[in-house]
Amino acid sequence: MDTLLRVQRFEPTVDRAPKTQEYSVPFRDGMTVLDAILYVKDYVDHSLAVRFSCRQASCGSCGMKINGVPRLACYTQVADVGGREVTVSPMDNFPIVRDLVTDLTGFFEKHKEVIPHVVRRDSAEMESPTSDYLMKPEDLERILQFTYCIKCGLCTSSCPTVATDSLYPGPQALAQAYRYTMDVRDEGGAERFKVLDSAHGVFRCHYAGSCSAVCPKGVDPALGIQLLKRHVMSAKPPRGPGEGARTSKP
Amino acid sequence: MRESRLMQLQYATAAAALVLVAVHLLMQGVLVPYSTAISFDRVLAVYKDGVDVSLLEILLIVVVAHGFNGVRIILLELRQTRSWTTWVSRGALIAAAGTIAYGTRTILLAVLGAPS
Ligand code: SF4
Ligand code: FES
Repeated sequence: MDTLLRVQRFEPTVDRAPKTQEYSVPFRDGMTVLDAILYVKDYVDHSLAVRFSCRQASCGSCGMKINGVPRLACYTQVADVGGREVTVSPMDNFPIVRDLVTDLTGFFEKHKEVIPHVVRRDSAEMESPTSDYLMKPEDLERILQFTYCIKCGLCTSSCPTVATDSLYPGPQALAQAYRYTMDVRDEGGAERFKVLDSAHGVFRCHYAGSCSAVCPKGVDPALGIQLLKRHVMSAKPPRGPGEGARTSKP
Repeated sequence: MRESRLMQLQYATAAAALVLVAVHLLMQGVLVPYSTAISFDRVLAVYKDGVDVSLLEILLIVVVAHGFNGVRIILLELRQTRSWTTWVSRGALIAAAGTIAYGTRTILLAVLGAPS
């Protein structure tokens, strides 16, 4: 049995509009959508552009729409999406570089804006550590699921607010803002609040929930955003560097 | 003002508007029949009653604050430039203040009587 693979092709510097090309791919058990695309690339049409790396849902490179739903191509078996016909197209809400490859530059810029790392002010201790920063299990539990994000962008591609508000950080960045803001070791709240508590910040989320529905790693960005709203609304914004950390070394 | 404070205002005015509009509708057609409620004497009586007129003024402020803040949010999602954000926020504030002032003037004229 062959699978009919429909691929949206688009070369922005040449084409006026995307077109769909069809390929026949020999089906085999366990074949992923990425396998099918790579079969085409290897044996039928070398010019087909696709981004991938790990092939095991770890690197976040192969996000695309599969039968209209944002998914990882390496983590989606052809049999699970019908088997006979599969349509692939680039993720929404991102500029297309070519064919299935989208430009994630803006996505990573927004990720950077929320300062996605633990900020500490005790620089002497950071340079020459004398002991560990301790975290209680319940503190870790609160942020654990958000640490599983692989920055694939699927949540952002499914978000209706990202589609209409170009300054909105998007579900991935906001979920990471929650992850680091609620980290008891962190002291970066003041800078993060500037982005979160702004006219295009966390309160522009309409809670469509599509981000959580498409995340391949079981992260619930919509939950993170609602918790972040509650935190921003109830917390006094930290006034300056150094405020906000709830743990220090013994 | 911090966006979180504006959103708090939005949620609080939404809750208050639900209660106040419900009371308003009760008095304008359910408890008091509609034809009676809009009769000249009855309307005048509302404006002479301290509680009724205070409720009207609060309803005005709550609904206008909620409405114009809502319009501000919708307009912010329409375009995203720094100047648009600034002017939409200022415009919404001025429009809300103007509408409340005009509505309050109408209430005051009814309470105090129009100048001859
Ligand atoms: S939250 Fe999930 S869907 Fe969004 S970027 Fe991270 S892993 Fe991908
Ligand atoms: S190739 Fe790495 S996530 Fe799919």
